[in-house]
Amino acid sequence: MVNDRLRDIGEFVPSADDDMIICRCEEITKGEIRKAVHDGMFTLTEIRRYLRCGMGLCQGQTCSKHVKNIVAKELGISPAELEPATSRVPMRPIEMRIFANEAKEVRSDE
Amino acid sequence: METRIENHPILGDTKKGKPVTFTYNDMEVQGYEGEPIAAALKAAGIMVHRYTKKEHKPRGIFCAIGRCTDCVMVVDGKPNIRTCVTPLKQGMKVQTQYGVSADTFDKQQRGV
Amino acid sequence: MKRYDLIIVGAGPSGLSAAIEAAKRGMNVIVFDENERPGGQLFKQIHKFFGSKEHKAKVRGFVIGKQLLDEAAETGVKVILNATVIGLYQDKEIVVKIGEAVEHYKGNSIIIATGAAENMVTFPGWTLPGVIGAGAAQTMMNIHGVKPGSKILMLGSGNVGLVVGFQLLQCGCEIAALVDAAPRIGGYGVHAAKLARTGVPFYLSHTIVEAEGDACVTGVTIAEIDSSFNFIPGTEKHFDVDTICMAVGLSPMSQLLKMAGCKMEDNPKRGGQVPICDEYGRTSIPGIFVAGDVSGIEEASSAMIEGRMAGIAAAEYLGYIDENELNKELASLDKALSGLRQGMFAPENRGRLIEKTDEGIAVSDSLLKKGYVADDEIERFPGFTHTKGIHPVMECTQNIPCNPCQDACPKGCIKIGKDITALPAVDDSVSCIGCGMCVASCSGQAIFLVDETYEEGYASITMPYEFFPLPEIGIKGKALGRDGQIVCEAEVINVKSLPAFDKTNLLTIKVPVEYASKARFFKAE
Repeated sequence: MVNDRLRDIGEFVPSADDDMIICRCEEITKGEIRKAVHDGMFTLTEIRRYLRCGMGLCQGQTCSKHVKNIVAKELGISPAELEPATSRVPMRPIEMRIFANEAKEVRSDE
Repeated sequence: METRIENHPILGDTKKGKPVTFTYNDMEVQGYEGEPIAAALKAAGIMVHRYTKKEHKPRGIFCAIGRCTDCVMVVDGKPNIRTCVTPLKQGMKVQTQYGVSADTFDKQQRGV
Repeated sequence: MKRYDLIIVGAGPSGLSAAIEAAKRGMNVIVFDENERPGGQLFKQIHKFFGSKEHKAKVRGFVIGKQLLDEAAETGVKVILNATVIGLYQDKEIVVKIGEAVEHYKGNSIIIATGAAENMVTFPGWTLPGVIGAGAAQTMMNIHGVKPGSKILMLGSGNVGLVVGFQLLQCGCEIAALVDAAPRIGGYGVHAAKLARTGVPFYLSHTIVEAEGDACVTGVTIAEIDSSFNFIPGTEKHFDVDTICMAVGLSPMSQLLKMAGCKMEDNPKRGGQVPICDEYGRTSIPGIFVAGDVSGIEEASSAMIEGRMAGIAAAEYLGYIDENELNKELASLDKALSGLRQGMFAPENRGRLIEKTDEGIAVSDSLLKKGYVADDEIERFPGFTHTKGIHPVMECTQNIPCNPCQDACPKGCIKIGKDITALPAVDDSVSCIGCGMCVASCSGQAIFLVDETYEEGYASITMPYEFFPLPEIGIKGKALGRDGQIVCEAEVINVKSLPAFDKTNLLTIKVPVEYASKARFFKAE
């Protein structure tokens, strides 16, 4: 039901707090998130890929709950109905240089 | 205002490392070796650690445990150093960070 | 790839407790923690814990942290710090960043004890330097010895907001206001009362309109909200503060479990996304366990018991103990845990308005809305008595799981009984010797010694006092009421600091006898 893309969620209506920063790392505002829903992004994973909110250095630690609530409100559903965004390696920011150290180790094993 | 807690009713005297001098944007600041850079800056009354990339807004300490990365600064020329979990050393060069690189916004624009 | 019987992620209260129990049973245990120091949040907790003896009640959090670390070392638990777990897979493989390397470990069993992350609320100006989390405030003041600010607004009246608020006062900060959008204080009344009697004003049904300042916070405006969370025009209040501290709840850090493929649920009573698990932390994947806040937000005391349960369950899973032993061990822990989960603040009562105590006494309305029991409400509670000579007055008015006062009295004049959430009562037949052990033992700082016949026309009041500078004998000042307002002149007549009091000093003041039931705090002139 969450993924019913034909569902009518109405027009995007501007709101006074649309310029409020939600994702502190990537500086994504409430308005951008709301617009994204009206642009057809109904899941948290899509929103994250589309706007990068939750993909910054803190990895959504602070904003994921807010994003979830904003998207749910826009869709007119309960936040609990939204599947959380995918969790994948690396769970914490890590320098590419260090992440690449693993590749070396694997190669030496072969 | 005295920002260091010298004598605490429960914790007593807080143990500190040896006094060190470091620079914040070329200004000399005193701190204690091994404490987080952010603690020394806070004790010196410095609140702004960086300006954000898009909106150029000031940020400072927020979570203080290395998670939120709001307190990152340019340390010894390297950007994105989490000052709340990076131990202070004698002679460290700590600078305000602009965006995500080690350069000022001015330089970043000219570079493009 | 290295293999261990048990890999634990998180060296906080639950992770360490789990490690100790598993290691005691012969398991080869390794604990990873991304922080520089072990102990999780325990070392930031400088207040005395609640509960009973088996929950380490009246011991301060950081002391419990030290005890856990010692025990972990004795049992041979390996704790690796600055080790950030970046991945967990279904086959119990862990990817961890240690220093400059990314390493892989395999666990025959795994316990995830990653704890929780702080929630935040948004308002114009919430990204300004000077807006911080309550955890940040605790880290700055209790670990690094730096004041988080000078004048602070605390948002959130749960136990975290109240406890951190008090800690801010202890390190010399001023609290301009304690604000919560909820219509009632969320944390223990005794924690609120400690703040209220020093003069901290509470604003319930209020929230932040905006934080002011260009480079950093210079002020804040709050306003009252209606039942649909809309601001009520004309109710704005402004405070000149340099810091806004948010203590608006915690969310389980359960991402690793989701990544591993554990069945998850969104459970608001547990604080958000949590793994589906049984009461001993067994998740949907055999051999992967959880303990502590990651499986549902509670206190550190319950996290430690959950940790022990998960450690024992993991030992049984790998055959280090048999089912009989498992059941025997878990039964006693079950009892300890259910003791903590009783009373008004039990998990199942979250969000519910409780009007009467278990004893059938009407709960103080003023306590829930203003942070203190009103003068005309306090008389109805069983700990509040009037007798000749010195005697304890216990302003403990909610059913919370705590009973150290009962054991503290060498004469046995305080009665709580078997049920540790019962309100304490005074046994009038036993005479108080005025030793003050009960005052110092009360984690909620809710016990006073009152002598209404101290001197002709004067009463003496002994109160717990955990601030510096400690007033000296002979100093004159004002006695403050439970509401933090001046009630009368007062003089310090005794100051007692004994090792047995564990940093809770006993301050005795003399006030005109008619204020004996009102004066509860002292401010030097």
